[in-house]
Amino acid sequence: MNTINKNLYLFWQGTMLSYRALFAWLRPVTYMASKILMPLAQMFFFVFLGSYASNGKNVDFYVIGNAIQITSVSGIFGVTMSVGGDRDAGTLPYLFGTPSNRFIIFFGRAFMHIIDGAIGVVIALTWGVLLMGLDLSHTNLSALGLTILVTTFSTCGLGLLMGCLSLLTANVMFVNNFVYFSLLIFSGANVEVTALPAWMQFVSNILPLTRGIAASRALAAGASFSDISPLLVSEMGIGLIYGLLGYFLFSWFETQAKQKGTLETV
Amino acid sequence: MNYGNIFKYWRTVLVVAEMSIRTQFSDGFVLFAIVFQPMIIAILALFMLREKGSDYAVFVVVGSGLTGLWSSLLFVSGNSINVERWTGTLESLVGMPTPFDVIVFGKNLANVFQSLLSMIVSYALAAYLFGYPLSLTQPILFFLTLLLSMFAFICFGLTIAPLFVMYRSVQQWQNAMEFPVYIMCGFLFPIALLPNWTTPLSYLLPPYWAALALHGTSTAMMPFDQLLFSWSMMILFSIVDLIIASQLFKIMLYKARVDATLDVD
Repeated sequence: MNTINKNLYLFWQGTMLSYRALFAWLRPVTYMASKILMPLAQMFFFVFLGSYASNGKNVDFYVIGNAIQITSVSGIFGVTMSVGGDRDAGTLPYLFGTPSNRFIIFFGRAFMHIIDGAIGVVIALTWGVLLMGLDLSHTNLSALGLTILVTTFSTCGLGLLMGCLSLLTANVMFVNNFVYFSLLIFSGANVEVTALPAWMQFVSNILPLTRGIAASRALAAGASFSDISPLLVSEMGIGLIYGLLGYFLFSWFETQAKQKGTLETV
Repeated sequence: MNYGNIFKYWRTVLVVAEMSIRTQFSDGFVLFAIVFQPMIIAILALFMLREKGSDYAVFVVVGSGLTGLWSSLLFVSGNSINVERWTGTLESLVGMPTPFDVIVFGKNLANVFQSLLSMIVSYALAAYLFGYPLSLTQPILFFLTLLLSMFAFICFGLTIAPLFVMYRSVQQWQNAMEFPVYIMCGFLFPIALLPNWTTPLSYLLPPYWAALALHGTSTAMMPFDQLLFSWSMMILFSIVDLIIASQLFKIMLYKARVDATLDVD
């Protein structure tokens, strides 16, 4: 019991401190510009482009797709910077020097970003309803809330894997931006997955977000929770796989760094 | 800013531009902004607008190229003075006999020039990957417009860079400035889709006139009088930007010398 309490405490401390360390240097205005206005402006851009493409017939498709995709601002950028931030701030040697449970430390880096990302999606959907005429009157809102949480969780799983890559490469912003923008194509946020070439559909199907966006669109169209639950289960599974892959990479990185003395050589 | 300096120090301008290009091509973020982001936007737009037919391919090529131009201007030109501060070379640049604004002009020239790469990449993508036949309806006027647009973008960049150095509160909005300009300037869809109250704001942005003229000469037979008007607007905004930039550079250098805060981040 004592170990469980200690690990819970470690998880909470780790998650709060890494989140605060990431955003403490920002002023509220910068936070608002980067986490609220930028994603919303991006959403409006693609919604207008989609509206132009479909002659205004299919606006909800683009609003939902891009609103859900906003979760990757926290899932990709936030989580990656939380994991990679330890190297930039010089705290990685201390972290690897502690006997603390690595699994708890590692997954703790993503926790606040799941909440943060989910709130971002809710804000985007609210703007969608208020400004873009998104109709959620037939939507099971609690199922939509769960879908948002699951999708954010799975995107953060990919973020954890990307965060480990940030320990291995100096060009982390390039990799992050590339993955973030690629999700705009592959996740089905702006183009129906079935309209993509076969190899792109394969990539779509092994990425997070794809099923979350599909489930959200189905819910907005009036589907029930049981209709979309298979999508949610696979979305959750994909997120877990990415998160575990990230954890194994993190463990491998620690072992290699300790054996070869390459902790801060990248 | 003494505009004669740009001609007097033309060799410095070119050397600075060359140095900037060499440095920036090793920067992953810059490469992403000028090559990969416009490419991804072009792929998305080509998929999204495919039902409008192949005529829209050139529109997408030009529009996505403009997104690369603006992103580069915002993030690279906007930080062209700040980056010298971060690397500790700002004092040397300000202290040397060559006017500082000439150096920033050279850097902006490099940024805008290399941003044209985004248009070339989008062109190659649309032509070879998507197999669209691409041709410009008014090629000579298009290239003249492109030159004028480059100049307008450089002048716009000259006002942004000192603003970001002096007023951190403005730079804090940098991340949020990227997509609104894509929207308001009609890079990939007409501004007629936007609410009417945004139209005057679009008219105040030099990239809007650049986009209008570039789209007009690449995908449609834009009447010459309308093209002339767009050119005039770009020239007018360039002059206004240069006047504002000259004042901003004066204030910035005065503050830096009097307050001794040149390297204080």
